Amino acid sequence: MSLREVSMLPWVEKYRPKSLDEIVDQEEVVSSLKNILQTKAVPHMLFAGPPGVGKTATAHAFARDLFGPSYIDDGYFLEINASDERGIQTIREKVKMFARQIPMGEYSFKILFLDESDQLTDDAQHAFRRVMEQFSATCRFILAANYSNRIIEPIQSRCAVFRFKPLNKAHVIQYLKRIANNEGLEADDQAYEVIYDFSEGDMRKAINILQACASISKRIEEKTVYEVMGYVSRGEVRKILELALSGKFTDARDEVRRLLYVQGIMPSDLISAIYRELFYIDLDEGDKLELLDLLGEVDYRISEGATPEVQLMAFLARLAAKRRRT
Amino acid sequence: MTELWVEKYRPKRVADVVGNKESVDAFVKWMKQWELGRPPEKRAVLLYGPAGVGKTSLVLAYGKEHGYDVIEVNASDWRDEARMKAVVGESSLQATLDGSTRKIIVVDEVDGVAGREDAGGIAALSRIIDETRVPLALIANNPWDPKLAPIREKCLMLEFRRLRKAEVVKRLREIAEMEGVKVPDAVLEKLAEMSEGDLRSAINDFQAITGGRKIVDEKALEALGARNRVKEIFDALRMVFNAKSIRAARAALEGLEVDLDMIYTWILDNTPDQIPDPSDLADAFEALARADVMLARVNRRQEWRLMRYAIPVMTGGVALARRHKPSGFVKFTFPPRIRFLQSTSAERELRRSIAQKIAAKLHLSTSKALSQMLPYISFIMANDGGMGDAMARYFEFTASEVAYLRGGEVEKVEKAGARRRVSRRARKS
Repeated sequence: MSLREVSMLPWVEKYRPKSLDEIVDQEEVVSSLKNILQTKAVPHMLFAGPPGVGKTATAHAFARDLFGPSYIDDGYFLEINASDERGIQTIREKVKMFARQIPMGEYSFKILFLDESDQLTDDAQHAFRRVMEQFSATCRFILAANYSNRIIEPIQSRCAVFRFKPLNKAHVIQYLKRIANNEGLEADDQAYEVIYDFSEGDMRKAINILQACASISKRIEEKTVYEVMGYVSRGEVRKILELALSGKFTDARDEVRRLLYVQGIMPSDLISAIYRELFYIDLDEGDKLELLDLLGEVDYRISEGATPEVQLMAFLARLAAKRRRT
Repeated sequence: MTELWVEKYRPKRVADVVGNKESVDAFVKWMKQWELGRPPEKRAVLLYGPAGVGKTSLVLAYGKEHGYDVIEVNASDWRDEARMKAVVGESSLQATLDGSTRKIIVVDEVDGVAGREDAGGIAALSRIIDETRVPLALIANNPWDPKLAPIREKCLMLEFRRLRKAEVVKRLREIAEMEGVKVPDAVLEKLAEMSEGDLRSAINDFQAITGGRKIVDEKALEALGARNRVKEIFDALRMVFNAKSIRAARAALEGLEVDLDMIYTWILDNTPDQIPDPSDLADAFEALARADVMLARVNRRQEWRLMRYAIPVMTGGVALARRHKPSGFVKFTFPPRIRFLQSTSAERELRRSIAQKIAAKLHLSTSKALSQMLPYISFIMANDGGMGDAMARYFEFTASEVAYLRGGEVEKVEKAGARRRVSRRARKS
């Protein structure tokens, strides 16, 4: 890649921290990992925390600091995303294949990074637990997960668990400013605030918003951010709720289907957005409470494997039966 | 992947369009007026009728045969006036004088626009019809939706009816010959019957039962399931929605040789039409949602015995919730869900392929790439700001992927030179 090309990378990639020193706002995690680096006694690890706080970046930075810059090409590091390969087959074939081979270079073990490991099926997790023991001489595992409670107990107990906390506002904004500076952008404080609000502490999202803003203008104001977010999220959820409340249930349903199946919005994100809107909707407080209760139920059912589309319809149908506050 | 026969055998000339001769002739006559430089009094046609009878195919075939640039836009996800203007309005005013690239604009699923909350889109369309300088073909299943009234009178109305059985059989026979498939008449007749005059579904079914083989016999029909059983499903639905007891509701599914997911989808998507009262509807959906939870447990934990609760809860729940009936008979319909998934499959496929490329570069799962990266990358590429081409190279997007991302959301992406995409957002900074 030429220099020019590098400068054109998606910023989430271009500004990904390369070493532990560059990881933002996770001091406790970073200092423990640095200790591990010094002793070179690497345990299996579980990185737990919300999206966009640096779990994947930390895994890569750790491996890079440990094995050197060509940690991937030298065969020391493999990344598998469990959300794409959730079945037991992945564990039996891909994971085992990598884990069992003794590395060729100066280190006696390698690292397999299993991202979104809470997406693994129960069967796959049980198979994985065996693999962790069997090959621990040649391979250490780093698992990343949003929800550590979805990782079975036997795996958790074999891992050192690192909790990544949500990034604080000042740190996110500071990082954005660094990027803006480097890219020759001007942005006002208000714009940073709004980007942070939309990002909800998710650095990936914050950087994406910044880059999307930059594609419109080198001068970023609050309204630039709204323009981007107006395109990206388009107030669809509010619209769905409005449709349901106006008795247009099937239109609301069709919109939900479009979001889930065409846009690929994750059900949990859709539910969170509904949750946020629900407080501001034009209904009696009693009705809102009932709907919140139902939404909690829907959320739980989906996490238990129920069909998101159907559960959301049940919620919308209940909403459609409510009268607007007069 | 094998090519879909419905695409492969889409008519290439008007003469290849099956059936509905009167409307086909009227359309050709209408187009000739444009070509003679005397735009007809009605600047738009509204081709209407059930699915799969050749409405879109006619326009595409005409375009191909006479060298038109067919701009195809899918109306189902526009809602507002601004977008209608931006997409259709703009192209409709750019007639070329030298005749080098003649255009037809096709607006699909016009009734989908009307179903939305704001009629602003229809009003905009109506003004576009008044001013258009290129032929405008609108397509709808149900043209009698009251919201379409303002444009109906401005359109030449061309009805497309279900095709006759013989017409469907004849076309299937031609396809069989071109594909070198040996198949008895009885099978083709059965396929034609089941399709109820929907040639597209007949061709799809035919391809499905053939499954790449060169010899097909009547046994192959059994593999078809779904459409084959539609009649039976209708009966079962009638029993479910009219049942007076849980026992009767449960009994409706007995002996029905349809897979449970399928019947569930039919019940789910017919519920809103059959249960007019909002409160009843909420109860019905709660029952369906609970049944869904049980079915999920059956699937995940292989707890088969839970199945016996799922069925009465879903059928009985819906029947008991239906305390108020619609006034008059409301017919049962083929599930919109299935139609939706079919009609969006090309776009979903494309988005998935884009997301996989993003995922591979950015340490993400495909699903996160789809929901969390794709919208931003699309935005950046559409606005560019000098970053678009580099993005495209970095992710190794194909030309059609780039076009999709740049255009934002317009669906139908075809590589055939005759069809082209329209950018909905013409903004540049």
